[in-house]
Amino acid sequence: MRKLDSLSLLIFARSWGIVILFALLWGAFSIWGFPIFGTFTNFSVILQGASISTIFAASIAMGVFSGALDLSVPGTAALASVILAKCLLSGVNVWAAFAIALAVSVVVGLINSFFTLRGLNPLAVTIGTLSITSGTAALITTGPPLYGFTGLDFIATNRYFGLPAMFYVVMIVYIIGTVFLTQTRGGARFLAAGGNAEALRRSGVNANLYKVLGFVLSGLLAGVAGIVTTAYTTQGNPAAATDSLFTGLTAVALSGISLAGGRGSLPKVLVGSLVIAQITSILNIKNIEPFWGIVITGALLIGALYLELTIQKQVSKRVVQTKSKTPPPAPNTPSAALNAATTQKGA
Amino acid sequence: MANQAEYALDMQGIDLYYGYVRALSEINLNVRPGECIALLGDNGAGKSTLLKVISGAHRPTNGTIKVHGREVEFHSPRDSANAGIEMVYQDLALVDAQDTATNLLLGREILRKGILGMMGFLDRKAMKEEAKREVANLGVKIDTLTRPVEMLSGGQRQGVALARSAVRVSKKAEGILLLDEPTAALGYEQKVMVEQMIKRMTANNIAVVLVTHDLPLAFSTANRMVVLNRSRKVADVETAKTNNDEIVGWITGARPAMENL
Repeated sequence: MRKLDSLSLLIFARSWGIVILFALLWGAFSIWGFPIFGTFTNFSVILQGASISTIFAASIAMGVFSGALDLSVPGTAALASVILAKCLLSGVNVWAAFAIALAVSVVVGLINSFFTLRGLNPLAVTIGTLSITSGTAALITTGPPLYGFTGLDFIATNRYFGLPAMFYVVMIVYIIGTVFLTQTRGGARFLAAGGNAEALRRSGVNANLYKVLGFVLSGLLAGVAGIVTTAYTTQGNPAAATDSLFTGLTAVALSGISLAGGRGSLPKVLVGSLVIAQITSILNIKNIEPFWGIVITGALLIGALYLELTIQKQVSKRVVQTKSKTPPPAPNTPSAALNAATTQKGA
Repeated sequence: MANQAEYALDMQGIDLYYGYVRALSEINLNVRPGECIALLGDNGAGKSTLLKVISGAHRPTNGTIKVHGREVEFHSPRDSANAGIEMVYQDLALVDAQDTATNLLLGREILRKGILGMMGFLDRKAMKEEAKREVANLGVKIDTLTRPVEMLSGGQRQGVALARSAVRVSKKAEGILLLDEPTAALGYEQKVMVEQMIKRMTANNIAVVLVTHDLPLAFSTANRMVVLNRSRKVADVETAKTNNDEIVGWITGARPAMENL
């Protein structure tokens, strides 16, 4: 039974590693960054700072879960941002402007899925749409960011019960997303489509529908991230925030999944985002060059994926070992009694 | 001899060309409900190709296929599935990260009652119960239904894949189950399990077509042996009326083909 124990230990590490890492870093940074880091105020600052990148992470995560890395996310967000700004500047109602920006984001997702399902490489397609969306965003503003609109504070910097509004947006996104993935039939099939679309197809389910859903959800959440960014910075910026791609992807990798699709948990992606935000925060507090943060993010991405790969290999090795070790029986030894019993029926 | 409608599956004069290559040549094949036939042959003899014709993945160049006496034309695996034919592929097609219950009930998930159900919420508890019952009915042993299937041994994974098709085929009246090398890479115990599962299927009046290299398995489960050699059918004989040496002779081509096939 010792083999099984080390197996469960590995699985435990994979499942809970990110939470443990978060707690360890929190403890270590609280000592290193004493007395500033460990306070509630700093935690609230971390939450606020991480809000936008957690929404980006959710957007990337939805793509990865469904089996496709959607690189167009920052471009979609930039497009949603300038469309929202343009609408508000032309006097469109706030909610109508949200709806228009989100609808455009969904359309980007549909375009991505259209070409991917026809057999193009999703990376190439989404790099293409990244270029198209950020280019279009720049065409709309003719270059510089759009300023001068108001009325978005209620989803950004306004505080409700002591916490910034963005925090609630994050909570809504993650709670709805988690309930969808873990509790509904749509979520189960969505993950199955990412893990093994053929299995879904053979079960008589339209797997392509769920592949489309992956890109649509990724686009929709990118739109939400664009809207919140616009509200927070009070400008419609056509420059695609490509660093959000790296932190988002790192948060997904830190949550302990391979990027192959079919698995994943949004709460862990959230903790992954917070780990990166913790690191940014401690670098700020210790007055260390913020560029270290970028270096560390890259190292975390590779490290997390490598660790996942190692654990995966160990797990499959151990599973194979528990298989029956009996050699195949020699030919010419059919169980004769059973044989006689069954042959009579068809005769 | 049985008349046409008594066959679950009846194929006449099946030819299949890949360009100039003749992969199947004038194959006649039939299976009755509750009968298991073993489709035997060396590599490249055409048995997997024939299985793909039955499952709708390939369309024959010539020939007719009848399912329960009704002539059918399959344009895709879905057509064949609609006609009550289920295939268990060698690659199993399981969703690794999901548990047994989810894999088993893929495509026919159980929803909660009331408004939550209308919103698509799953009844996980009921799904687990249902999976437990179905697995027990088939005599498959699986350690825990809540473990992701990637954590199961090869035999258990095979069991889940078999069970999934078996359950689906049982839902249809007089279904047809196609098995492609179900015991490749299995240990002894798991082979016995597969053997028993096939017997349960035939006892439930399901027609089974078993493609295998495993002669002991064929002898212990099949009522009839069909041997293909270089795209032709060379033998179609009741298991009770033949033996291992004869079958090996037909497979290798050392023995001349039977007449009146």
